[in-house]
Amino acid sequence: MANNTTKTAGRNRSVIDRLGGQKFIVLLVVIALFIFFCALSPNFRKYTTFLSILDYSYYITLMAIGVAFPLMTAGVDLSIGTGLICYSLVGGYLITFQGWPTWAGILASIVFGMAIGVLNGCLVALMDLPPFLATLCTCMITRGLGSIIVGRVGISWPAAGTEGGWFRSIFKIQMNGMNIPIGFLWIIIIVIIMTFVLNHTKIGRYTLAIGSNKEATRLSGVNVKFYHIFAYVISGFFAGLAAISYSAIFATVQPGSGAGFELEAIGGAIIGGVSMSGGAGSITGTLAGVFVICLLKTGLPFIGLAANWQQIITGLVLIAAVLVDILKRKKDQA
Amino acid sequence: MGEVILTMKDIDKSFPGVHALDHVDLEVRKGEVLALMGENGAGKSTLMKVLTGIYKKDSGTITYEGKEVEFANTKEAQDAGIVIVHQELNMLGHLTVAQNIFIGREFKKGIRIDDKKMNDEARKLFQRLNIDIDPRETMSRLTVGKQQMCEIAKAISHDAKVIVFDEPSAALTETEIQELFKIIRDLREKNMGIVYISHRMDEIKVITDRVTVMRDGTYVGTLITKDSTKDDIINMMVGRVIYEDPKTQSMVPKDAPVVLKVENLNAGKMVQDVSFELHKGEILGFSGLMGAGRTETARALFGADPIDSGNIYINGSKVTINNPQDAVKNGIGYLSEDRKRYGIVVQKTVAENTTMATLENYMSGIFIDKKKEKEVAEKYVESLATKTPDVDQLVVNLSGGNQQKVVIAKWLTRDCDILIFDEPTRGIDVGAKSEIYKLMNKLAADGKAIIMISSEMTEILRMSDRIVVMCEGRKTGELDISEATQENIMNLATREIE
Amino acid sequence: MKKKVLAVLLSGCMAAGLLAGCGGKKEEASDKSADTKTEDTKEGSDKGGDYNFEVVVKSFQSSYWQAAVQGIKQAEEELGVKTNTTGPNAESDIADQVNMLNNAINKNPDGIALSACDQNSVLDSLQSALDKKIPVVCFDSGVPDAPEGSVYATVVTNNGAAGAIAADHIYETVKDKIANAKKPVRVGEVNQDATSANITERGLGFINRFKELAEKDGKKVAVIGNDYFVGKVENNGDEKSADVIIEVAVPAQTTVELCATEASNIMNKDDTIAMFGSNQVSAEGVLTANQNLSVLGSDPEKNIIAAGFDAGKTIKAAVKDGTLLGAVTQSPLMQGKLSIETLYKICQGETVEDIETDGYWYDSTNMEEADISPNLYD
Repeated sequence: MANNTTKTAGRNRSVIDRLGGQKFIVLLVVIALFIFFCALSPNFRKYTTFLSILDYSYYITLMAIGVAFPLMTAGVDLSIGTGLICYSLVGGYLITFQGWPTWAGILASIVFGMAIGVLNGCLVALMDLPPFLATLCTCMITRGLGSIIVGRVGISWPAAGTEGGWFRSIFKIQMNGMNIPIGFLWIIIIVIIMTFVLNHTKIGRYTLAIGSNKEATRLSGVNVKFYHIFAYVISGFFAGLAAISYSAIFATVQPGSGAGFELEAIGGAIIGGVSMSGGAGSITGTLAGVFVICLLKTGLPFIGLAANWQQIITGLVLIAAVLVDILKRKKDQA
Repeated sequence: MGEVILTMKDIDKSFPGVHALDHVDLEVRKGEVLALMGENGAGKSTLMKVLTGIYKKDSGTITYEGKEVEFANTKEAQDAGIVIVHQELNMLGHLTVAQNIFIGREFKKGIRIDDKKMNDEARKLFQRLNIDIDPRETMSRLTVGKQQMCEIAKAISHDAKVIVFDEPSAALTETEIQELFKIIRDLREKNMGIVYISHRMDEIKVITDRVTVMRDGTYVGTLITKDSTKDDIINMMVGRVIYEDPKTQSMVPKDAPVVLKVENLNAGKMVQDVSFELHKGEILGFSGLMGAGRTETARALFGADPIDSGNIYINGSKVTINNPQDAVKNGIGYLSEDRKRYGIVVQKTVAENTTMATLENYMSGIFIDKKKEKEVAEKYVESLATKTPDVDQLVVNLSGGNQQKVVIAKWLTRDCDILIFDEPTRGIDVGAKSEIYKLMNKLAADGKAIIMISSEMTEILRMSDRIVVMCEGRKTGELDISEATQENIMNLATREIE
Repeated sequence: MKKKVLAVLLSGCMAAGLLAGCGGKKEEASDKSADTKTEDTKEGSDKGGDYNFEVVVKSFQSSYWQAAVQGIKQAEEELGVKTNTTGPNAESDIADQVNMLNNAINKNPDGIALSACDQNSVLDSLQSALDKKIPVVCFDSGVPDAPEGSVYATVVTNNGAAGAIAADHIYETVKDKIANAKKPVRVGEVNQDATSANITERGLGFINRFKELAEKDGKKVAVIGNDYFVGKVENNGDEKSADVIIEVAVPAQTTVELCATEASNIMNKDDTIAMFGSNQVSAEGVLTANQNLSVLGSDPEKNIIAAGFDAGKTIKAAVKDGTLLGAVTQSPLMQGKLSIETLYKICQGETVEDIETDGYWYDSTNMEEADISPNLYD
C-alpha cells in the first residue's frame, strides 16, 4: 500500500506540474501569443502598443483577481462588470458634482464595491441562493443603481493635470517625455500580496476548503458562513479597485455599460487555472490568463482580423482551458 | 403456492477485496411473497443488483420461466418482467403521475406526446390496484406513500411477473403500510412472484410466506414463515463465527466521571427522546440497523443538524450546541461515516487537513506558520503510523485507512475529549481495521470518551464497553458488554415500536 | 419556503431593473396617463397649451442626449405643453426602446417624438400609432420605411453633410502633405458600429468627401477595412496602387476601450496622417489611444491630424489644447426643441415639413462663439 501511494504521488508530479501546472502552460501561451503578434505585425512591436495592452488590462486583471475568490468557493460573481461602472459613476459623481476630494471619491467607490460584496455574500452564504442567481440580481441592481444615482449622465473623473487629477498618475507617470506604466508595478505587488493571502492566511485556506468540500469544512468547526461571505467581499473590493483603474485610463464612464466585463475577468481567471468547480486556483495564473485575453483583444486587430474574430477566438481558448480543468479533475479522481 | 418462476443458483460475485456473494441461492415462486432478510451488508442488495443486471455475476445461473437468462441492464430485466421498487423513490417531482409512470416510453400521436392516452392507461392501472390517485396530479404533491404506490403501478405497467420490494415500508406511515400490504396481497392473488426485503420482523410475519436469510454474502437457509419464530430468524441472521474475541467486560472504572450526558434529545423524525451518558475512558457502542437514527443522533449532538429539544451536559454543565463550531469549542470531535463527503477535503494536503480544526494554533500574526503546521502534521503521521510519502501529499492519494487516520489526527490536534466515530472502519481493509481499533483503545485508555457508531456486530462486540441500541429513531435498550450477545442486540434492534 | 423567498427577491431585482429602465420619471408618467384618459379627443384645436407629448430618446448614455432634453424642456416652457421623456439604458437596447415606445402609444398622448435606436424594429409600433391617429415626429435619426402617414416630419442632422464637413477641414490641413508625399499615405476612421443610420451616413459622408477631394487633386484613393463601409464606396481604388488609403475600423462592441484598440492600431502605422472618430465614443477612443502614442497634434508634418464628432468634456478639452484639429457638433438642443415645436404645430392643424439641422465645425478659435457654445454640452 505504501508502494501504491508513492506511485500515485509520482504520477501527479509531472514536469509541468513541478513548474506550476496550468499556470506554466498559460504563461507559455502568453509568451507564444506575444511572439506571434510581434512576428506578424511590425506595429505591434512598439513600446506604445505594449503600453496600451497594459492600460486596457488593469481593470480586467483587478476584477479577475477578485472574482477568483468566489470562483474558488465554487461560486461566481457576475455583478463585478456592471458593478465596476456603478462604483466608478458614484465616485466620479461625488467628486465632480458634490465637490468631494478625489481620495474620498476613490474610497467611496471601493466601499460601495465592498458593500455590494457583503450583499452578494449574504445572499449566497446566509440565504443559500445559488451564486449565479444572487449575483445576476446584483448585476441588474448595480446596472440600474449607477444610472439612477448620477442621473444617467456620463461621468468624467478629473482629467490629468487638472485639480484632483493626480489619481491618473497612479497607473501611468511621465518621465523625460516617456510614459511609464507604473500601474503594472502595483498589479505585481497586488498579485504577490493576494498570492500570499491565498496560500498563507486563513482566508485563503478556508476559501479553497469551502470550494473543495464545504460540508467537511463546516464539520471541522470552521465558521464557514463568514469566510464564504468574505470571498464575495474580496470580489467587491477588487471591483472597486478596478473601477478606479477604469476611471483613470478612460475618459468618460457611461451609465448602462459594463455588462460583459465580468465575462472577460471570469474567463481570464479560468484560463489561468481557477477551477469553476471550486477548490483550486492561483493568482499568478489568473494574471497570465487575463493577459491571454488582453493580448488577443489588442493583437488580433493588429494582424488585420475583423474585431469579432477576437470574441470567437477568446471563446475557443476558454473552451480549451475548461477542458484542461475537467481532464485534470478526471485524472485526479481516477 | 405455485410453481417456481425464478431460480438463482450458486451466484458468486467479488469486488476488489470483498467477496460480496458466496454461492448464493434464491428461489421465487408464483403467487408467494418471499422475504429476503439479513443484516446490513449481508448481500441482499448485491444479489438483487445481480438479478437485474446492474452487476455482472462472476458465476452461477439465473433461471427465469424455465430458461437461463442474463440481463445486461435493468431495462432488459424490466422488459422480461422483473422490476424493483426501490427504497429511494426515482420520481420526477415536476411531472404528473402519468408522465412518471410512462417516462421513456411515452405514447405518441404523430410527434406529439399523447397525454390523454397516458392518463387513461394510468387510470386503468390504478383501478387494477384499487388505488385512488389522479394520474394528472403533480408527483411532488403526493404523500410519500402515494408516490410509492405510483412506483408499484409503474412496475406493474411493465407487465411484471416478479416484483422486488426493497425496504418499501421505511418511509411509510402505519396506514400507508396497511394499504401497501393490501396491494401486495392483491398482486399475490394475481399469481406474481414477490420478493420483499425488510428489517421489520413484525412485517415479515404478517405479509410473507417464506423467509430466505443471508449472512456475510452467503445463503443461510429458507424457512416457512408461519412455522418459524422471530428467534429462529434472528439466530439465522447473526449465527456467524466471530473470529475476533469480543470484549467480555468493561474496561471503564466504576467511578469514572460522566463527561457527556444527553437528555431527551429530539431532532427531526430520526432522533426521538434519546438519552444516554458517556464516561471518561469509555467506548460507547451505538448499534442498530440501517436507518435506526444513530448517525442522526451524532450529527445533532455535534450541531451539524438542528436540535429540536433536549439537554446536553458536558462535564456536568449544560451547553448549547447550535453549530459544529459550538461542538468543537466544547471538545467534541466527529468522524463522519462518509469520509469523503464530510470528513476530509480530498484535494488538499495531509497537513492542511490535519490543521483544519485548529488553524488558529498555527498562526503567526495573520499568516499561517507553514513550518509549524508541517511539524504537527508530521508528528501525527508518525504517532498514528499514517502511510504517506510526506505531509504535502493530497489526501485523495491515500488509502481509506490512512485517510481515516488523517481525520483522527485532525481531532487529536484539537485535543477533543469526546470523539464520535461514525462507522470508523467502513471501506477500510482488514489490516488497517485492527490498527484503527488499537488506536481507539489507546485513546480510551488515555482518558478520551468515545462514541462508536457501527453496523458491524463484531465491531460493536469487540470494541464497546457499553452498548446503546437504537431502532427507528428511539433508544430501545442499553447493555453492558458483559451481558451483550448478538441475539439480544438484534432483538432490541428489531423491536417493534408500540 | 425557500422558493418563496427566492421569488420575492427575484421580483425585487426585476423591479429594480425596471426602475432603472424607466428612469426617475415614473410617477409623473402615470399621472399623465390618467389625464389623457379623460380627454380622449385630440383633434380639437382649441385645447391651447394642454398638449401631452411623449418623447422616446435613444438613451441617456452620452451627454448629447442631455442637451436634447434641455431643448425639449425649453420648448415645453415656451409653448406651455407637457412632455415626458423616456429612453433605454444603452443605444443598443433596441427591445427595451420598442417596449417604451409601445407604452408611450398606450398612454394616448397628443403626439410622440421618437429617436429610434433601430430603423426596422419600430415599424409595428408606428403602425399602431397610426391606427390610433397619434402623430409621430422623428428626430436625430429618421425611419425611412415608416408606414405611410405615421411619421409627420423628421428632424435630423444631415449626417452625410456633417461627416463631409470634417473631411473638408482635415483635407485642407493635410493637403500639402498629400501632394508632396512620395509614398502612399493613410487616413483612419473609427466608427462605433456599422448598423445605425447616423453613424454610417456620417462615416460615408467623410469617406466620400475625402475621396472626392483627393481625386480632384489627381490622387488615387482606396478604401479598406470594415466590409460594410468598403462595400458602400463607389469606384473604390486598388490598395496597392493607391496614393491615399482610407482605413475604416469598427470594433466588436461599442465600448471605448475597443474603439481605442482599433484607433491605436491605425495610429501606430507610420503612414497614417489623419484620423476621424465619427461619434463621441469613437472620438474618445482616438484620444485614449493617443494617451500612450502621443502622435496627435496640429502640425501636419510631425503629427497625425485628427477630428472628432459631438462634444463632451474630454473632446472639448482636446479641441481647446490642439490635440484635435476640431470636431463637428450637431445641434441636439435645437433638434429637441424643433421636434416639440413641430408636434405643437401638428396639433394646431398646421402642415409641417422635414427639417434638416446643420452640423457645425468647431475648433479652438470659435468654441466660445454664441451660435456654437450652447450645443457644446459637457
